[in-house]
Amino acid sequence: MARMKFLCDAERCIECNGCVTACKNENEVPWGISRRRVVTIADGVIGKEKSLSVACMHCSDAPCMAVCPVDCFYRTDEGVVLHDKDVCIGCGYCSYACPFGAPQFPQEGAFGMRGKMDKCTFCAGGPEEDGSQAEFEKYGRNRLAEGKLPLCAEMCSTKALLAGDAAEVANIFRERVVRRGGSGADTSGWNTAYGKGSMDADMKAAETGGAK
Amino acid sequence: MTRPFIPCLRSAAAALLATLAITAVPAVAADAPPANVAAEAIGAGLVQPGNNADAFRDARRGQDQSITFAAPADRVLIQSEGEAWRQMRNGPITEYGGWALVVVFLGLVVFYAIRGEIKLEDKRTGKLMERFKFIERLAHWSLASTFVILALTGICMLFGKHLLLPLIGHTAFGYLAWAAKNVHNFIGPLFFISVVLMVVLFLRDNVWQAIDALWIRKAGGLLSGEHVPSHRFNFGEKTWFWLGVVFLGLMVGGTGLILDFPLFGQTRQDMQLAHMLHSGGAMLFVALSLAHIYIGTIGMEGALDGMKTGYVDETWAREHHEYWYREARGERIPDNAPRPGHKPSTVH
Repeated sequence: MARMKFLCDAERCIECNGCVTACKNENEVPWGISRRRVVTIADGVIGKEKSLSVACMHCSDAPCMAVCPVDCFYRTDEGVVLHDKDVCIGCGYCSYACPFGAPQFPQEGAFGMRGKMDKCTFCAGGPEEDGSQAEFEKYGRNRLAEGKLPLCAEMCSTKALLAGDAAEVANIFRERVVRRGGSGADTSGWNTAYGKGSMDADMKAAETGGAK
Repeated sequence: MTRPFIPCLRSAAAALLATLAITAVPAVAADAPPANVAAEAIGAGLVQPGNNADAFRDARRGQDQSITFAAPADRVLIQSEGEAWRQMRNGPITEYGGWALVVVFLGLVVFYAIRGEIKLEDKRTGKLMERFKFIERLAHWSLASTFVILALTGICMLFGKHLLLPLIGHTAFGYLAWAAKNVHNFIGPLFFISVVLMVVLFLRDNVWQAIDALWIRKAGGLLSGEHVPSHRFNFGEKTWFWLGVVFLGLMVGGTGLILDFPLFGQTRQDMQLAHMLHSGGAMLFVALSLAHIYIGTIGMEGALDGMKTGYVDETWAREHHEYWYREARGERIPDNAPRPGHKPSTVH
């Protein structure tokens, strides 16, 4: 079984926000929620400026899952971290724990009361029946069930944002790194999301056929 | 969407600096040999085409991230503090907090088995003394009732996943926890108001007095059964007031308000810190409250009367708060009064 991953190539991302727009449109994300954002570090500093598209990284050891007081998260066979909005109570703990700012909450009622958490699903929907209207309304499109990859990556104009099987994604990135002559130690977020020495470890995991 | 003023200013400054850098570079390059420039640049970790490791290492440390986003929470690429919060919350706060409750509870069971109820030694006189005014009882019971609700719902949030969820399943527990969260969030502010009222009303009589030293020396006579004289409140009660109501009450209540109203630009780090103080303090508060509830109900004969009706029997007052009893009868107790006998005697 594949191990699904995102990877954003900072040498290619041009901060066009096409991925953000694609995500919002495909999943009909509610107002005030941004499942994906483009972050620019060292903005305006010549030679140092880097942009990255960030969303849920579907961690191997997901902090959101660990701290959720109602255990509403689950991991699919493909390594995608999803959650059940019927169980979520909107406590906000996942957003305290997440390194990537992925969990988002619509404000529901007065005094900043949170509604159900919403986050990137790797375009894999939720616990409802695949492709059902109920699933779409709560979680957005289930593209994975249709054999398609997340739309953010599919629409990326420079192919900076890659999504898919860890082995495929890592191979594409490795080829790019070899061509550029760099060290390849710049897969931002992978160490945080998948543990130390992520590239090799995950290549191995992908080859032996399983996520932790 | 309008950009906030300060980030605007910052990007303007960055643009200005960038312009300066562009104009300055050719001049420097002309002076120094090119090889040196390259060597220096490698030393500074700048030249290595395509290697962004330095940039991301800085970002991970929270440095050098001029990120243009409206929400404060989104101004970092990787929020490393979340992991520390997770370790604290899932580790010590859950484990030690849970054990604190169990240990205190079992301790009280053992204490009750050995010591039993602390009975009045003499017969009740039937004459009553006013111990708590109506407003004092109102403050106490409003604090007590909100405390119990908050403790139960809070415990549900922290331990329910481990204890209740396996029994009743995700859906039922989801509804229960949702109700618990909302009750917790709406009762919270009432608790804070009760704490403040309680502090104001009880502050004066909880100031430490000379006689408290005796109570400490004799450990309150809890084990020996000896009655140690005190003014209106003894040192045990004062400790519960200062440590429980004042320190833990204000801390847990205050951090609770920070968590309850995320409308004032709190960052995720603020929330993590507030949450650790809140849940850690609350576990200690609940553990200590078990002892308070014990001694105020089944642990001591006549103790509940005062808070229930506002009046206590004179015998109870004489045995447990001798100085308060004598003062109420018009005697004057000097601060450095010699330790009196157990039966009331006339000082003058």
